[in-house]
Amino acid sequence: MRILVIAMVIATPLVAIFGLRNDFLVFIAGIALIHMLWASGLNLLYGFTGLIPLTYAGIAGISAYMTVHLVMRLGLSFWLALPIGSAAAALVGLLLSLPAIRLRGFYFALSGMVIQSAFTIAFVYFPAYTNGDTGIASVPRPTGFDGGAIPSPYMECVLALFVIAAVAGIGLTMRSRFGRTLITIREDEDLARALGINVTLNRTAAFIISSFIAGLGGGLYAHYIGFASPRAFDVLISLNLWLMVAMGGRGTLVGPLLGALLLAPLPYLLVQYTWVKDVIYGVAIVLVTLFLPQGIYGFVLKRKART
Amino acid sequence: MNDLLLEATDISKAFGGLKALSNVNVSQRRGELLGMIGPNGSGKSTFVNVISGTLKPDSGEILLDGANIARRPQHVVARAGIARTFQAVKIFDKLTVLENVLAGALGHSSMGTKEVDEAREALARVGLTADLEQRAGALGLYDRRRLEFASRLISRPKLLMLDEPVGGLNPEEIRAMIGLIQSLREECGIFIIEHTMKVITSLADRVVVLVNGKKLVDDSPQTVLRHREVIDIYLGTGDA
Repeated sequence: MRILVIAMVIATPLVAIFGLRNDFLVFIAGIALIHMLWASGLNLLYGFTGLIPLTYAGIAGISAYMTVHLVMRLGLSFWLALPIGSAAAALVGLLLSLPAIRLRGFYFALSGMVIQSAFTIAFVYFPAYTNGDTGIASVPRPTGFDGGAIPSPYMECVLALFVIAAVAGIGLTMRSRFGRTLITIREDEDLARALGINVTLNRTAAFIISSFIAGLGGGLYAHYIGFASPRAFDVLISLNLWLMVAMGGRGTLVGPLLGALLLAPLPYLLVQYTWVKDVIYGVAIVLVTLFLPQGIYGFVLKRKART
Repeated sequence: MNDLLLEATDISKAFGGLKALSNVNVSQRRGELLGMIGPNGSGKSTFVNVISGTLKPDSGEILLDGANIARRPQHVVARAGIARTFQAVKIFDKLTVLENVLAGALGHSSMGTKEVDEAREALARVGLTADLEQRAGALGLYDRRRLEFASRLISRPKLLMLDEPVGGLNPEEIRAMIGLIQSLREECGIFIIEHTMKVITSLADRVVVLVNGKKLVDDSPQTVLRHREVIDIYLGTGDA
């Protein structure tokens, strides 16, 4: 049943791709898929471990710049550059977050905001590497078996495969001993400690896995839209990703997918009315916090449990 | 082999200017059930917090089975074999009964597929017959206490420290709880903090009395309860 729901949510953008045959909508579907990947990765920390990582976009950005650099300057294949960039993102993200990983809830989130700002400043002030605020344009699409750029609808299918792999991986992780350990830490970290669980070590492991997924999304994003700039990986993006998880339903596999599907296309659909997007996001944050603390899917599950 | 299970020497702990524990020495022999009493604020819970690694002592040594566990991280102390319960029951309210017991094994080396059987056994051990899939938060106090016990017992601790295990229970439940604790003596060393004297007199082999963070007496329950100062503290001096 759950797998059916997951399949339906992931299939929605693919239906749009093959059913509508509209280039712009196909592009939006691709964007939604990348955000599904990000939101699922962020959910591993926020939903399953109880940490709000507001550094998430910055970590994705490190991988994006690194992957772009490896491909455009050093001529590496995208498929080799992507795991390297993602590993680097996980490592840098980890090093910067190490002092923060012992902090709780609100304080972890706050420290994340500070670290995220440092990421953004670094992206702007190291122009030799990032081309500063101007950003790096003409980033090539990922290449296929024939060595040429993978054309759209197929590229979107590749993105969908990434989402499926990530969701399957996270689903399996959460059924494992490690996953159950993360849940106990989320529920009560003091009690977890008293029961012999090494809270810091397990959190750090979750952080590395989650950051790696952020990195995969970062590299894919830059090469998919053909552009990398500091604005694409700033604190607002971190907050948007958090909102997707919160609105869809944290701590579930379906929730982040649903949240990304609903929210990620908004900036593109409302491209002429950007302020409308900000208002919608703002209202969504308030509504979710007040009325749907468990998110849309969490609400559905609760209703189902009652009947 | 040393016949001391726990040996706490010269334990001191201060919170700012308040000396919660001053040079306390407590030892517990293997197979012995040790009780600790004392008025509110005398440092009993602080003592359990220090021994179980929740708090680090300012000074002093703690040997469990001969190995030093003072100032080690809490999860290391738990893995070394000290399990504890809390004055206000601490379980994972949102998780199920079975998940709660299994959580007690997560920090310890994996038992593989036997784990669920072990969990059932731990529940049977404490006599809890609740539905395994029930949410723990929905249980009554006595069942919550027993679930707390089961989640600690699954890791087969060397020493189980109970902080007021009968607090809030009715007389019938208290009687049952005394029987349960008595039956656990064969499995591990037991250390109890209690206000209810009946629990102490019917279970403890030896009683330590803490007053203002200092050890006042350390003797058999019968001797301790005849001790002049203990009577004064619990019943008043008569000139108050």
